[in-house]
This record gives sequence, C-alpha cells and structure tokens, in this order.
Amino acid sequence: MTNPYEVLGVSPDASDEEIKKAYRELAKKYHPDNYANSPLADVAEQKMKEVNEAYDEINRMRQKGKGTGSTAGNTGGYSSNGSTSQFYSVRIYIQRNMIQEAEQILDSTPEGSRTAEWHYLKGMCAFRKGWSDQANMYFNTACNMDPNNTEYRAALNNMNGQRTYNYGGYNTSQRGNVGSTGCTCCDICAAYMCADCLCSCCRTGC
Amino acid sequence: MFGYLQVQKSELLVREWEAYQSVYCGLCRQMGRDYSFLARLSLSYDCTFYAMLLMSLRRSCEGFDNGRCTFNPLKKCRFARCADSAYSKAAAFSVISAFYKLQDDLSDSGFFKRLLVRLVKPFFSRWHKKAARNYPELETLAAQMMQAQRQTEQDSACGIDAAAHPTGDMLGSVLRLEAQDDMQKRVFYEFGYQIGRWIYLMDAADDLDDDKKRGGFNPFAHYTGDDLRAYQTATLNQSLARAADAYQLITIIDFKGILDNMLRFGFPAKQNSVVFGKQEEEHDESI
Repeated sequence: MTNPYEVLGVSPDASDEEIKKAYRELAKKYHPDNYANSPLADVAEQKMKEVNEAYDEINRMRQKGKGTGSTAGNTGGYSSNGSTSQFYSVRIYIQRNMIQEAEQILDSTPEGSRTAEWHYLKGMCAFRKGWSDQANMYFNTACNMDPNNTEYRAALNNMNGQRTYNYGGYNTSQRGNVGSTGCTCCDICAAYMCADCLCSCCRTGC
Repeated sequence: MFGYLQVQKSELLVREWEAYQSVYCGLCRQMGRDYSFLARLSLSYDCTFYAMLLMSLRRSCEGFDNGRCTFNPLKKCRFARCADSAYSKAAAFSVISAFYKLQDDLSDSGFFKRLLVRLVKPFFSRWHKKAARNYPELETLAAQMMQAQRQTEQDSACGIDAAAHPTGDMLGSVLRLEAQDDMQKRVFYEFGYQIGRWIYLMDAADDLDDDKKRGGFNPFAHYTGDDLRAYQTATLNQSLARAADAYQLITIIDFKGILDNMLRFGFPAKQNSVVFGKQEEEHDESI
C-alpha cells in the first residue's frame, strides 16, 4: 500500500486535526452523491476507499483507537427495484458500461411500449456517452410521464445541479447578472441546495 | 483550436501566473525549434493547457530558464524547462489542429479570409507533414475527427450532442494516450471528452450570429425555445461540471493551483464572456 500520508496529501508530522480536515475534504470530494450517475462512479468509489483506508491506517499508527472506517457502501447508482423491470437486461448493460448493447435493446422496443422507464434508461445511455443534452431531454420526459418516481426525479435533479454549475458558487464577473437570465449566485446556490435536499430524500426513500 | 482554455489571472498567485507564462513561452520556443519562426503564430491557450497538463501528469518540469522573447527582444521572459517530449507533443498538436482549422476555414468562410488562408496554407502543410510524422497517433485522431465532423454536419438538425461528439471524442482520445491503466483511461477520456465538447459548443455559441448570416452549420441555430443564452449556459455548465468531476479523480501535483484555477474560474469566466458578452454589446447599442 502507498504511504497513507501521501494519499491524504498531508505531511507525516501533521497534527490530528489537520489530518481529520484533509480526510473530510477528500471524503466530500469523492462522495458518491457527486458521482450519482457518472460513468466514473466506480473510480470515485475506489478513491474513496483508498482515502478511508489511509485514514484508518494513520489512526491505527497513531494508536488513537479505531478510525471512522466509514467505507462507502454500495454506490452502483441504481436502486434494486430494477430487478422486476422489463428492462432488466438494459440496466445490467448500463451498469457494466456496455452502452451500445443497452441502446440496441432500447431502440428495438416498439413505439407503443416506450414507458417512462424506457425514457429514463435512454437518458442514462446518453448521459454515459457524454451526450448531456439528450440525456436532459429524456430524463424530463421520464419525469413528466411518471412524476412520482423517485429514481427518475433523482436523475433529473442531478442534471439540474450540473447545469447550474458555474464558479462553484463564487462570482467575480459583473456579467453574472445581466439580461433575461437574471440568475444570481444566490439563486444558483439555493437551487443547488434544493436539488441536493431532494436527492438525499430520494436516497433514503429508495 | 480556439483559445478558450484560459486562466483567471486575478485568482492566481503571482508565482503561479509566472509559471503559467513560462510554460507559454517555453512552448512558443519549442514551436520555433521544431517548426519555424512563423509556426509560433499558431500557438493558442488551448495548447498551453494541453502542454501544462502533460507536464503536470508526467512531472516533467525541471525548473526555469531566463531568456528573451524572440518577437520582442526587449522583453525578458522565463522559460519552463521540460525533461521529456511534453512540449514537442503539444507543439505538434498545435500545428496539426491549426492545419485542419485552416482547411475547415477554406470551405466555410468569406472571400478575403479564404484568400489569406490560401497564402499561409503551404507553410502549414509542410509543418503539418513533419508533425504528423513525429506524432502519427495525434494525426490519426485529428483526421478522424475532421471526417466525422463533416459527416455529422451533413444533417443540419443533428442536435448539439451529435455535433459536439467528434471534438469531444478526439480530445478524449488524445488525453487517453497518457493513461497508465484502464481506470485512468476512462477518467482521462471523460475529462477530455467534456472539455472538447465544451470547446466545440463555446465556438458554436461564439459564431452563431455569423453562421446565421452566412447560412453556415451551427448546432444552436435550431434552438426554438425562448431563452437561448440560458440554454447555452446550462449545457456548457454541464460539460464543465462533468469535466470537473473527472478532473478531481486525476492526481495532479505540479501546477495544481493553475489547473484548479482554470477549471474553477478561468473556463466559467470565459464562458460567461462568450455567452453574455454579446448580449452586453447589444444592450449598449440599444441604449
């Protein structure tokens, strides 16, 4: 294993407080919520694991009892309710990042049976490919067809969070607030927080 | 390339700003050595970003030399020393993309610009040949991209995702060349893809008025909603957000402050000036 101090980006003689702070920052950075639908979710999970291990290791070395050991749980990004769905195989393909195969099945589905779930999965395929605009359209359709589905809603909220990303909530430009968009820094923060709340609601709901 | 990948100077430390300049100057000098005095003119901020990222990933910056600027001998400047081929690779990429950009301009620009392009193209053809010989993998990717782009633009209503795909795919594949393992390959590809998509859409947003006038291809020309700028901002934001997600998963040690600055401040600032800048001009005129 690599040097746990290097993993956390602190010097070996850093204080316990500094280590805790560095750990918290990294844990926030790699938090599964940030990578909810991302094709890189598993990479973030791996990083999170490394950070957790490094933190535990340092704690062990410093004989401070056990670390938090809060290794991230399952972050597959999919709730298990998919097992009964008619698109079960599509979900499996998406999970394995086999987007072409998933799209083939979806595209061969007749027009009549293109349900909300179909649109959701189509959006997921587009998103994984990097085609964010189409993904947005499909997620919107899915949510309109089935407004009570928490899974679709969470995906759409995640999209909206990304679409309001600008300056990470910090605004130096006088142009931030001109014309018809009229979206201030505060609006963005507020919108993001709302989206975040909704997201966490869903997570516990699922 | 187009020069959208800039730093936000006001948010940099002075030593970071100096380091950034010295990479720019170092790359400029390399272009003079590898190609010609004139080839330096094709140097863009985008390629500086590429060089800086390469040097950061390979940890190839060894220190700085003092010297003088070739274009302005009165100006002293510093050059970042590079231990490996990062500069050459970025210089080759710059020449190759400039060549294809010229070729593209030949097919869709006005009379005078075409004339100018015809004048400089023979030089670029020669440099391009050399760059393609040294870095065939870059040449292949760029050529593939041009072909894919032409095919996509056949369908004028193909949508912004499809239109931006060739550029995203190219930059993703270019960065993937640097990866050490499969996991890095995916992270680098996603990072490059989203940055490439963003560059393409920025250029499209920038050129929308011109393209409308001349009837050129533009993915935003088919937008039918009532707030074009909000739509452009949302889709550009999303590319940056996804690029930032991937960027966080890359271990950056050298030049971290500068690259962080670009992702967090430089790119969004440039985006706002492209999307809203024109609106301000219109606004001024109407007053």
